[in-house]
Amino acid sequence: MSDARPAFRRVPADMFAFTTTERSDLHTAVMQVFGEAAERLRAALTFDEVLAGLPEIGWYEPVSDESLEYTLGALHKHGLVDRAQNHAAHYASAAEYERRNLHYSLSRKGEAAYQGLLHALDLLDGSGALQTSVLDAIAARLGELDALLGDEGADDRRIHTALAELEGHLTELRSGVVRFTGRLQRLLRDEGTDPAVFQELKQATIAYLTEFVTDLDTRRLTVAEAVARVEEHGVEALHARALRGADLPVLPGQADPAPRFLERRATRWAGLRDWFRPADGGRARVEDLSDTARGAIVSLMRALERFSDSRRRGSSPAADFRALARWFSAAETDEAAHELWAAATGLWSARHTHLAPDDPTAVGPGTSWFRAPGVHVSPLLRTHGQSDRVSRTARVRDTTEIREQRRQRALRERLELEEAWSRLATPGPVRLSAFARLDQGSFSRLLELLARALTVPARDGERRASTADGRLVVVLLPPPDHHLAYLRTARGVLVAPDFIVSISESRPGQAAPVPLRTDFRREATA
Amino acid sequence: MTDLRSELDRQRGTERAQAIRALLARPLLTRAADPDDFFLVARHAAELVPWFDEHTGWRLSVEARQGYARLAKVSARPDGTRPARRLRGNQDPFDRRRYALFSVLAAELLTGQVTTIGILAGRLAQATAVEPAIPTFDSASREDRRAYVDALLLLERFGVLTATDGSTDAYLEHADAKVLYRVDPTRLARLLAAPQSPSRLPGPDLPALVREDRYDDDADRLRHSLVRRLLDDPVVYFDELPEAERAYATGAPGRRAVRAAVEEAGLQLEERAEGMLAIDPDAVATDERFPAENSVPGQTALLLLDSVLAAHPEPVPHAALAEQIAARFAELPGWARTYRSDGGAQRLLAEALAVLERFNLIARSENGIGARPAAARYAAAPAAGAKTPRPRRAR
Repeated sequence: MSDARPAFRRVPADMFAFTTTERSDLHTAVMQVFGEAAERLRAALTFDEVLAGLPEIGWYEPVSDESLEYTLGALHKHGLVDRAQNHAAHYASAAEYERRNLHYSLSRKGEAAYQGLLHALDLLDGSGALQTSVLDAIAARLGELDALLGDEGADDRRIHTALAELEGHLTELRSGVVRFTGRLQRLLRDEGTDPAVFQELKQATIAYLTEFVTDLDTRRLTVAEAVARVEEHGVEALHARALRGADLPVLPGQADPAPRFLERRATRWAGLRDWFRPADGGRARVEDLSDTARGAIVSLMRALERFSDSRRRGSSPAADFRALARWFSAAETDEAAHELWAAATGLWSARHTHLAPDDPTAVGPGTSWFRAPGVHVSPLLRTHGQSDRVSRTARVRDTTEIREQRRQRALRERLELEEAWSRLATPGPVRLSAFARLDQGSFSRLLELLARALTVPARDGERRASTADGRLVVVLLPPPDHHLAYLRTARGVLVAPDFIVSISESRPGQAAPVPLRTDFRREATA
Repeated sequence: MTDLRSELDRQRGTERAQAIRALLARPLLTRAADPDDFFLVARHAAELVPWFDEHTGWRLSVEARQGYARLAKVSARPDGTRPARRLRGNQDPFDRRRYALFSVLAAELLTGQVTTIGILAGRLAQATAVEPAIPTFDSASREDRRAYVDALLLLERFGVLTATDGSTDAYLEHADAKVLYRVDPTRLARLLAAPQSPSRLPGPDLPALVREDRYDDDADRLRHSLVRRLLDDPVVYFDELPEAERAYATGAPGRRAVRAAVEEAGLQLEERAEGMLAIDPDAVATDERFPAENSVPGQTALLLLDSVLAAHPEPVPHAALAEQIAARFAELPGWARTYRSDGGAQRLLAEALAVLERFNLIARSENGIGARPAAARYAAAPAAGAKTPRPRRAR
């Protein structure tokens, strides 16, 4: 098996097939029987020994010979179990020999599969943790290695075990982080669990992470320094001595295990450096770990905040909708469901009649409906179901058009007013006759101004008034002579005393216009 | 001289009244579905919000940028005759299954911004599977798919979902149709208008759901309750009101408050001895009309009302009204053809009576159908001896 190929290409396709078939429980049980036997240094089992081993691992159901045979056959087919002739046994009959002459043992692949299975179960059961103790253990082993390397007379075997322990701790750290990250993700994602448990779990995790992060920096530095000290002795020297200490057996017909041993040690050491003291001075993975832990603390606190928020509000919209869904399903009739819909959403339309009596004020509010005049309902509605025989649908009155017209009219009037006033403004006091000829609009404005001026009492012979909005001021002086002014308009001629008139825009700072009495208009028209 | 300011004021008042009635008709008004009314509301939002708060106690939120306005209507006696409707086919009302799916869907949609019709269906199936009270959604069932699509379409109408790719209807044919949605979670949360949280109540309890805690002032409560009914219901009878509300409604301050609100909404108030009603001459603020045109149940309702009114104050037995319809069937062979099938006459009678009930014009009792006072408004004018035109065949 070459390490050059990536892991995902090296897994035999049917390595774990025994866990996925219909009979996976018996398959796995048999694998376990082999595993337990191996732990007692029993490499090969006969058919009967396998059968006898099943209850020992907790399989109490009866197993027929056929099904066990089938299982062993399947495991053999997948290359997990080796079969060999058993020559040591005694056989009473030919049939027995036929059936039970075989020795079964786990193949290499089978061993790997069984170990993989145990590891997987371990991961599934374990909760995963970030253990500061692992970091301490790594630092301690590194210190030990430093001391051993410094001592020429030290036992190489001791170096080998110390290195193996170190590597074991590193592996533990890595798998612990993987598991913990997974658990953290689930914790952050999973909000639907029991609120109390959820909150407790998160709070515990936060406390734990905080503690972890607090001392992480010191521990990281300790380990990095220890790595540096070991490296001063030379990593290759370390590995060479460890190789000697490992005392690897060299079996005939197999390759020399030393190069592979050294290669693996180098890879592991590189892994250790990645974690604590990257060769290129880059970022150590343990720093990522502390970042991740800090980030997790923040997200967990946010999640807790959200949670207590929603508890303060009493519930979340999602919970409300779910409750409504249950209520709707429990409704006894559709009508009850409609009522619930209205109550929960308020999404109903108003409902009104559109027919009004011709004269709403014809009767007083104390009149009964039965005595008040009704509304006009087209008789055609009763006979034909339509109120108009020509057009099938009644036109809805379009008020936008009317409003637009009104707006235009208002604007137009405003413009006319401005124009008329600007035309009326005089350069100074002039005789009324100077207006001579006027269009109808200006003439009525002028009349209005004169009327306003004439209704206020004269002061020193002068009458002064302003328009309602105060923009124009008119000053009127009685004519010094008895001339008459003739103002011609398209509708006729106005004959009036030839007043001296001054019409001007009032400007700030000028004397305030004479205040008009509020009831002026009624008097003027009366 | 026309006073410009008062003209402008009048115009603003008219617009505001239109906006009020638009909101009464559609409490969730979207830019996408009703642009004109939406902009009208958005323009007058500053005045409308306090208006609804003062007169009805209803909360109005106008989200001009997000493109919707939401009037959170609350009623102490929610009406079962104004259901959510399917946006396909005959606009039939939602049934319990659809309401439940709609709610589960809403809960599931709160978690994300983008989703597809397939993912949603999967989540719906999971969510209904863990709820023992709700039948599990099965996308293989055609009926479930139809209900699912109806709920989705309603969510689209509210602007909670926007199909950015594909069309929801495609799901009716294939459960593997591809439709991509964008979700608006804030609008979704706004769909709930009940004053109390359903999830805080132990079980289905309508009165508890609509209980309002905001009132410590009785006068406010009475005014809001009365104005809400007038703005919302076809007629308000004094004898249907609780004692305190009746006293308020018939007293001078109550009448004044009601009149102000109704008129500012552009409605006419009709006050009679037995009650009051608001008239919407433009028929904007209403989900249906009475009398209605081109509607056989509407026409039948009018005819039945004549009989009920003629008998007033005696109720008319149910059977007599059924006979009336049967007689009309015999007299006019071409009339109401869709109701000629088996049981059609009974169905027509039920639908016509439902129309009259929705407008609160009749009362059912053991002895039959009796006229409520407002029915008298629609009494046939005393025959002026005019020749009625020959009935034309209606369908």
